[in-house]
Amino acid sequence: MPTPQIPGFTRRGFLATGAKLGAAFIAAPYLARAASLGKGADSLNVGLVGCGEEGRVLLSAALKIPNIRFRAVCDIWPYNRRYGERLLEKFGHDPKPFEDYREMLSATPDLDAVIVATPDFVHAEHTNAALKAGKHVYCEKLMSNTVEGARSMVRTARETGRLLQIGHQRRSNPRYIYARDRLVREARLLGRVTNAAAQWNRSVTEDLGFPAKQAIPEDVLQRYGYANMHEFRNWRWFKRYSGGVISDLGAHQIDVFNWMLGANPTSVLAGGGRDYYPNHEWYDNVFVIYEYPTPTGTVRASYQVLTTTSAGGGYYEYFMGDEGALKMSENPKYTKLYREARAPEWDPWVSKGLIARPGSGEGAPPPVKPWEKPRAHLPMMSKSDSVVDVRETAELSAWDIPVTLDKAIHQPHLENFFDAVRGKATLSCPGEVALATAATILRVNEAVAARKMLTYAPGDFTT
Amino acid sequence: MSESTPSSPAASRCEYTWAFLILRLFLGLRTFFEGVEKFEKGGTYSFANYYENMGRMAQGITGASFLPLWATRNYAHSLGYILLVLGAALLLGVKTRATLILTGLLYVSLSFGLMAVQENEGVAWLGVYIGIIAGALVLVRHDRFALWRGRSD
Repeated sequence: MPTPQIPGFTRRGFLATGAKLGAAFIAAPYLARAASLGKGADSLNVGLVGCGEEGRVLLSAALKIPNIRFRAVCDIWPYNRRYGERLLEKFGHDPKPFEDYREMLSATPDLDAVIVATPDFVHAEHTNAALKAGKHVYCEKLMSNTVEGARSMVRTARETGRLLQIGHQRRSNPRYIYARDRLVREARLLGRVTNAAAQWNRSVTEDLGFPAKQAIPEDVLQRYGYANMHEFRNWRWFKRYSGGVISDLGAHQIDVFNWMLGANPTSVLAGGGRDYYPNHEWYDNVFVIYEYPTPTGTVRASYQVLTTTSAGGGYYEYFMGDEGALKMSENPKYTKLYREARAPEWDPWVSKGLIARPGSGEGAPPPVKPWEKPRAHLPMMSKSDSVVDVRETAELSAWDIPVTLDKAIHQPHLENFFDAVRGKATLSCPGEVALATAATILRVNEAVAARKMLTYAPGDFTT
Repeated sequence: MSESTPSSPAASRCEYTWAFLILRLFLGLRTFFEGVEKFEKGGTYSFANYYENMGRMAQGITGASFLPLWATRNYAHSLGYILLVLGAALLLGVKTRATLILTGLLYVSLSFGLMAVQENEGVAWLGVYIGIIAGALVLVRHDRFALWRGRSD
């Protein structure tokens, strides 16, 4: 007996519809992401040059920004290139892969912007080519491994009228901006800033390796300026490709010295050496002292970068004044504001919402157990009147900055760049500013080699 | 060779009287203000604060122990009032022996709650109070300046 059928409803039709629905269900997250890429006037076509360690970090941050469409990825190492390509495809992009940036620039003329995340020694080459091709450029720090390279980038940006943002991302971090603009400059909570200190202490890291089958042929490596695969993977440690740890790790923090103090240094004294890693060229530990002329007087700033120990409190930038101190870090757990006992009370600033009493960590009241009642804060409980030994001063009280970054640390800086391309913002770190930072940093290596104090002339920081 | 002079029975009674009065006042104040602070939150005192604080306490103890919420809630909601009554009674000298016994038992019950959540520091502090209450009970026959003495005081 034939099976009665509902008109228009067959088994074949049911299976086909089911398959379509299933496919739509599986693809839904990717379709949703693709829809967020946008095609409107605000949508920007972007190419990425360099899909290595830093390129991946920038990709991850950029993928969270709406109306950005990656159209091209470029890397001389197919292993990296495929990674970038697959990641972007997963998020609904359709990037064309390229080995050579020149080919990328000529084959994808509709790019609005290019992100350069290659080793420092080719930043100038890649950036200048992209600018000359009419693209706006976001280039990772350090701007270049030579001051002349950095100068050429500024000049090209000027000549082409394109935007050039350098990846000193702390300049776009809302917590850093709040600390500088509201706490240090407007409320003057630190009083007169007299000293600064920053550090990045990192434990021993193994050299980066590579799957033997994925090695780039020698002739290809040499065509792109690399001696061999080991140096290609570990370029940060070799002098022909980078400025060493002071430019790799120190660049971010010394840039914050310049930015927070609103000045460039007049002199630098430095020491360091390659004392631990015999197969590296660059110093593995560097100690620096800068002198900054500021409107309120000289600020002496020390910096240290260690690559053999993470002891000593991680990484931070510390600004010290006669009434308070500000400890900043991209890691919120290292961030704190301190009030000197001699400074006016900060409670009114808490009432105004400018700063906060610590809820946890240093300076916070002891944790309240679930069955306990939180203790009331009474003025007589303040430590400001505590009696101390004549050789030391009263303990600083700790306070919190009520602004946190709830995004990837590179995202606001990329957002600032893309907004500037759309004409909706000004760059947080244009080439001219980053050139001064590059000059500030690269002189450190000269001072280490010379084993003496070196000075800066105002012209060192400009084109 | 020096000769010790034994104190007279009257002087001795006076010392015991004062020793007990000091203990009574200390325990009265401590117990009374223990009750008062249950009504405080953020520097203000109210019944709303009291029930919020006690609710938190009951939830916290239940959350960290085997004690059921109905038991901790009923206990917590009555605790503040009991502390106030016992504290005032000790300060004024109302049925001091019975009040001391009740205060001691109350502190034992509080210790039980803290033992249940393994709050050893709090248990130790309560142990100190319980020791003081035990000492006060030894001296309670020297109770003077009392508003309402019991027959056995």
